[in-house]
Amino acid sequence: MNTPTLGVSAETGLDISGVIYNYTAVKDLEDDFTVTVGNEDLDGGYIWKDTEDWSGKYGMKLRKFIPIPYTPIELFGKGSIATTGKGSVEDASVIYMYRWDLCRNAQNDKSCPNYIPPLPVIPVIEIYDALEDEFVKDATKETDDVGTDKDEDTRETEEEEEEKERLEIAMAASENALTIANTASQASLLLRINNATNVSSYYVAQIQGGVYRESIALQGGEIVDNRKALRSLAQDNLMNDMIQEQYK
Amino acid sequence: MRKLALLLSLILGVTSAYAGTNINGNVESRCTVNTDTAGYYGNPNAYTLTTLPASAGQVPIIRIDTSLATAYKAQISYPTSFSSSPSLGDTVVWTGAVAVDQTSSSDMSGYQAASTTADGGAMRIYPLTVAGATWFSVASVATYGGGQQKAFPGGSYTAVVVAECIAQ
Repeated sequence: MNTPTLGVSAETGLDISGVIYNYTAVKDLEDDFTVTVGNEDLDGGYIWKDTEDWSGKYGMKLRKFIPIPYTPIELFGKGSIATTGKGSVEDASVIYMYRWDLCRNAQNDKSCPNYIPPLPVIPVIEIYDALEDEFVKDATKETDDVGTDKDEDTRETEEEEEEKERLEIAMAASENALTIANTASQASLLLRINNATNVSSYYVAQIQGGVYRESIALQGGEIVDNRKALRSLAQDNLMNDMIQEQYK
Repeated sequence: MRKLALLLSLILGVTSAYAGTNINGNVESRCTVNTDTAGYYGNPNAYTLTTLPASAGQVPIIRIDTSLATAYKAQISYPTSFSSSPSLGDTVVWTGAVAVDQTSSSDMSGYQAASTTADGGAMRIYPLTVAGATWFSVASVATYGGGQQKAFPGGSYTAVVVAECIAQ
């Protein structure tokens, strides 16, 4: 039950204690006619329901009070006036009696026991989800296979098949080439074998000639080290000069 | 013998004593009468006072509640005289109607048909056979001049609707 229906704020702490309803039953005496007034509860049943059976009775104005144990407004569902049989309901109205329990919500008033200071109102931030955007949905709506993954898959399959065909052709060509090459190499091998057979006759040939002997002789028979050179190399001066030279 | 008895009592020293003990009780009526809507007269012309809304009047509504079925009857009368008014030198013709306006149960829908009249038709009697509330409307029209359409003297006029709840 909402605020416009009640005429008061439907907030926590509002308890309904009774209902006064009235209507005028319009019917003929002999007609069967029932009128049911009530409110649904949250489970689809009725939190209260009252039925008047006007069958065989004069139609007239009815005003009725239905006492209800104090019931939170949150438990009240949709209200209805339902009829069966032949007749109609006119000038209907339903008035709810209520009480306001100020301290049901401990944040309402400082005088309430167990008062809790109200929390600041936290602004609700709406998160934009592009996937839920209608324009995005329209833009990304699948119209045909062009540019889609499916199309991409199809193209990849075709390319793979073409590649396979090319590979098969290439392999066939190389196989042919190898066959040709094998034929050529066998011919070459036979040629070399034949050449070796032809050259071997030269290996067994004897060349007429003598032996070349060593004719150079060392004078004195001893080689002595250069002492000056050893001294110079033992010092670092030359090395240092060389190092410094590169920075000049 | 009477003397003997008196003598015997004197000898025995016996004196007679008695006490009167009241038994009190209250009966709370299971029927109440309330004015739901106060009525007033409209004055559509110089010689007519009427409660009809069409003539700027208001029909009084009386509610009778009973918590006990078939124990009471309602007796409701429309006025046949003014309880207060300017001095009237001519006759006033009274007409009116008592009717069930609304009920708290469809079982009371037969009240009007089951009602009877008395007091020349000014009083209507309703057996209250169902516990609950019943609203009665009482229409009243006063015409001055005895059919000669004579103007009412200026002033304030008051008439009384009598509604009673009587045990059957």
